[in-house]
Amino acid sequence: MEILTGNELMSGATVYLDRSGKWVEELQQARVFLKEESEAKDAALAVTKKGGRVISLEVETVTLRDGAIYPDRIRERIRAEGPTAPRFDRQHLDEDGHVSI
Amino acid sequence: MYRYDEFDAAFVKERTAQFSDQVARRLSGELNEDQFRPLRLMNGLYLQLHAYMLRIAVPYGTMNSRQMRTLAHIARTYDRGYGHFTTRQNIQFNWPKLRDIPKILEDLAAVEMHAIQTSGNCIRNITTDQFAGAAADEIIDPRPVAEILRQWSSLHPEFSYLPRKFKIAMSGSTADRAAIRFHDIGLQATTNGLGEIGWQVWVGGGLGRTPMIAKMISGFVPHEHLLAYLESILRVYNRYGRRDNKYKARIKILVHETGIETIREQVEEEFAHVKGGVLTLPQEELDRITRYFAEPDYELVNQTSVDVAREKILNPPYGRWLERNLNAHRQAGYVSITISLKPVGGAPGDATDKQMDVIADLAERYSHDELRVSHEQNIVLPYVKITDLPSVYATLVEHGLAEGNAGQITDIICCPGLDFCALANARSIPLAQELTRKFAAPERQAEIGDLKIKISGCINACGHHHVGHIGILGVEKKGTELYQITVGGDATENAAIGDILGHGFVAEDVPNAIERLVDAYIARRESPSEPFIAAFRRLGKQPFKEALYGDA
Ligand code: HEM
Ligand code: SF4
Repeated sequence: MEILTGNELMSGATVYLDRSGKWVEELQQARVFLKEESEAKDAALAVTKKGGRVISLEVETVTLRDGAIYPDRIRERIRAEGPTAPRFDRQHLDEDGHVSI
Repeated sequence: MYRYDEFDAAFVKERTAQFSDQVARRLSGELNEDQFRPLRLMNGLYLQLHAYMLRIAVPYGTMNSRQMRTLAHIARTYDRGYGHFTTRQNIQFNWPKLRDIPKILEDLAAVEMHAIQTSGNCIRNITTDQFAGAAADEIIDPRPVAEILRQWSSLHPEFSYLPRKFKIAMSGSTADRAAIRFHDIGLQATTNGLGEIGWQVWVGGGLGRTPMIAKMISGFVPHEHLLAYLESILRVYNRYGRRDNKYKARIKILVHETGIETIREQVEEEFAHVKGGVLTLPQEELDRITRYFAEPDYELVNQTSVDVAREKILNPPYGRWLERNLNAHRQAGYVSITISLKPVGGAPGDATDKQMDVIADLAERYSHDELRVSHEQNIVLPYVKITDLPSVYATLVEHGLAEGNAGQITDIICCPGLDFCALANARSIPLAQELTRKFAAPERQAEIGDLKIKISGCINACGHHHVGHIGILGVEKKGTELYQITVGGDATENAAIGDILGHGFVAEDVPNAIERLVDAYIARRESPSEPFIAAFRRLGKQPFKEALYGDA
């Protein structure tokens, strides 16, 4: 299973593609792509790249744990929450930082 | 301190305007990310895990109070109230937003600072001894020559697209406090048979995935020909350095693969053409730049020493601070002070906006308006009167800056690691915090003595782990963070790369592993005055390997 993630252009904030085609802050709202949905995934990547508002796009593998999305890589888990030490809240989107594909 | 001339000022201003325009065009969609990325990197703006990161150059680590206050202002206004001082004597901000970058760069330009050439395959900020111009053991103040090198290397048209990044470090003292043997070029001040001062030139050192100790390419280059000589090295590198593989592109690989003799011949041949040309540095020009770095008007101070033993009884924390954080000065009655950015449980190298303001005030009031960033991620006040020490200390205490641990086990160099860095494999800051907590007791630190721990979150080695007396490298294995421990590295004139002694440890086990190394050292040292690194050299790896892994 995979999710799409990137950083929003203005704030640099970590964002995830959700089920309605919006790029959102919350990992748990990310759209989970199954193996057989690779076409949809590629299409979403292509459109986003063209839009230019989400950068450093990556496909991340995840598993579901008790129904919650759990990224395989530690890096992704830290990206979702913000730095662990010194502990800081993650970066948030600006007012005008909300984008859809 | 050096002041920008009209050329510098006009250039930085122009570049700021240019970049503002590029940001505007990026935000409007006129530029796409592929076009914009190289432009932002040229201006020090990276994208990290959580946000953008802006790296600002502090040329040869020297700043005045106005500049430090501007950094504090940036931290407060555009970031999250702190900044991270790095091993390259720079500062990084971890949370700026793209639209604010033009304003930040304008604020910086107003105090003669910028972020140009803090990224990319060009000559990066030239680093030097944090005690330059003040140290008792100095042959020459390296900063005038460092400034001349800054001017030569800034936007050098031929050297803007080198095979890879290029780092130069200089030491004006015999004791190397700038790790010059681990840079692409290291310059060591020296004298020739006639008693003239010039530069020993080292080339091909580096850390990263292939750590190398630099080799001496020339035993003496006079100031007059230094630029020509360096230009010759850079030309040889630019011509023959590998561009096919980014991991083999640094000059260390070229020197290693080609051999220092051949490189020397190639450089000499180039030098024969370049020498005596436009790059000749006239003495008058060197003198002109040197005047910017003129020594302050020292006062005659009655008191020329501190009774540390007495202070240790009267006020132990102050006594410890005096014992650890002062560096001998060339002027009687003065010392240089290390302000530790390594509080117990803190993130090494971080300072809050308030602390930056306080440090700026102290520099203005007590240190001829000057301060330094050290490659060990601390701040230095270079020119402090001994009689002012109690006042300076009192202020430091008030603001959580009075840790008396310079050079001790809790004075850890540490890169941002996986908490911030997009390239990291493992976290490094939490380990540093844990280790400082474990060894927090001052008596314990005093018992251990000089010991440098350096931590990197990946093989790029930004935290200098290869040259830590004890080095810690974070790696990732099957989704967990593991830490490899090396022993015996040394960044000084006794340059050495640490040895890996065995398998890695999970984070929870690292503090105890380090403690076992420390205990092995204490048990076997000849006397408390034999430091860890000297004992390691005498004893070899075996006892330390046993300490880590048992004698199996
Ligand atoms: C967070 C963003 C950073 C990135 C993306 C980054 C990237 C890199 C890379 C790729 C290398 C390896 C270069 C090579 O071997 O060719 C490197 C080396 C190095 N970096 Fe960083 N680094 C970062 C932060 C830092 C920080 C915070 C410091 C200082 C604390 C630093 C200081 C150094 C040093 C001293 C080296 C090793 C010396 C050398 O061989 O160049 N870097 N960095
Ligand atoms: S050593 Fe690795 S993890 Fe640490 S700052 Fe450098 S690139 Fe990032």
